[in-house]
Amino acid sequence: MSTFRYIIRDTFRLLSRHWGLSFLTLVTAVAVFYLVGASALFVLNSKYLVATVEGSLTIQAYVEDTPEAMEAVTSRAAAFDCVSSVEPITSGQALERLRARLGNQADAVTLLGQNPLPPSVEIQVRKAAFASVVAREMISMPEVEDVVYAGELAERLESISAFVSRLSLVVLLISVTSAALVLFNTIRISVYARKEEIDTMLLVGTTQFFVSFPFVLQGVILGAVGALLSSLLLGFSYGFAVDALHRSLPFLRLISDPKLVMRLSGVLVLGGVSVGWVCSWLAVSKFVRSASRPH
Amino acid sequence: MDIRISGVTKTFKPDITALQDVYLTVPRGDFVYLVGPTGSGKTTLMRMITREVIPSKGQVAVGESNLRTLSNLDLAFYRRDVGVVFQDFKLLSHLTVFENVAFVQEVIGIPPGEVKRRTAEVLEKLGLWRRRFLFPEQLSGGEQQRVAIARAVANSPSVLLADEPTGNLDVHTAEDIIRLLHSINASGTTMIVATHNQYIVDAFRQRVVELRRGRIVRDEKKGRYESDVDL
Repeated sequence: MSTFRYIIRDTFRLLSRHWGLSFLTLVTAVAVFYLVGASALFVLNSKYLVATVEGSLTIQAYVEDTPEAMEAVTSRAAAFDCVSSVEPITSGQALERLRARLGNQADAVTLLGQNPLPPSVEIQVRKAAFASVVAREMISMPEVEDVVYAGELAERLESISAFVSRLSLVVLLISVTSAALVLFNTIRISVYARKEEIDTMLLVGTTQFFVSFPFVLQGVILGAVGALLSSLLLGFSYGFAVDALHRSLPFLRLISDPKLVMRLSGVLVLGGVSVGWVCSWLAVSKFVRSASRPH
Repeated sequence: MDIRISGVTKTFKPDITALQDVYLTVPRGDFVYLVGPTGSGKTTLMRMITREVIPSKGQVAVGESNLRTLSNLDLAFYRRDVGVVFQDFKLLSHLTVFENVAFVQEVIGIPPGEVKRRTAEVLEKLGLWRRRFLFPEQLSGGEQQRVAIARAVANSPSVLLADEPTGNLDVHTAEDIIRLLHSINASGTTMIVATHNQYIVDAFRQRVVELRRGRIVRDEKKGRYESDVDL
């Protein structure tokens, strides 16, 4: 119990004795974890946007005006695993839709005389990448007269999504490595500043654990507090960004679930603790091992 | 605890022999002056007893412990029973006198109440109680040395090693320090004092072990600093 009290006291002594260095590390940790969190939010939102667009991506296959053709195309489309829904649309239904879309100008369709709209099958795919595959299959069927879908958009969305994921992974790696290096060096400087003290401690019979643990806790505290502060900053700035974007570009929807930011904060703090722990342990254990080694 | 050094040789890289074929036994409660010119191997011998240095050949055993085979944890526990007084004191400059003495007890997990009681007792005994709130740089050389001794004896070690404890002190202060070491020895602590101070060795006649070029050349029961015979 006394040992634990001394370790806690030593940890806070370490933080306060080198307060300038601790503060600088904290600021860097906040900046770096903010970057990590922001890139995570960027990835999540871009995936969310892609998923939203993909969800409304429809392949319209126009078919011959016979019940057999409609049946054949519907069953063929439904056989794909990547297809989420298939809806046959008769000429009459297509006309009704058009009327509904025109609203108070719906009477204009009477000018067309006979219904010119062909029957079709509306196919929705789970992911944009599957759209072109399904479209190619449909057009190869003799019952299908034409296929319309936003093929280019689908492919672009897919490549943007992949690029964003890769870029964010790189940003994430660079950020975490920077945080790790800053923490590692701070702890190392603290260790070297206390070299004489550590030598004396080891010589009077202090265990390596007692010598090392305050440094490890110092790293953990800096990492965790840095991540926590960055989470708060991230929460505020993300909320502000969502509101501002909603006002200026109402059609562009970002994830606005408060649980997401909470969960992300949890991950960041956990990351801060882990990075702090690993880096400070690496920095101090090597030094203490070498200081304890006899000549 | 008794100290047994058997056939110890220590060679440092590239090819410096600090000790050569040294045999020395110091029974429990003994007081030994380790004398010899600079570079004769006194400090190396002391550092072998704290296991800062391990022999290239031979064995060092203290009490039940064979120092070569100690694990890191066992070494920590072993060192709690061996006090060391350095010539340059090695006091921690950011801690007060009281904190310096308390520190060595805290780091081995002694409860705070016990640390306070023991520290007060040791400081009182060494005449440092009124100086307890001062920092090392505010003390004289003699006072700093007494703090170093207080720190070394705070954990009541069975063995006390003092490397040139009177090195930078005037004759009177040096005599005070040696009297203090003798009083600690009188309570049963095995004591090894490395010194160049002829006056002290001759005034307090004790066992004298002389080292030259890494070899023991003299081991006398109540010896003087200089040998009576030409070595």
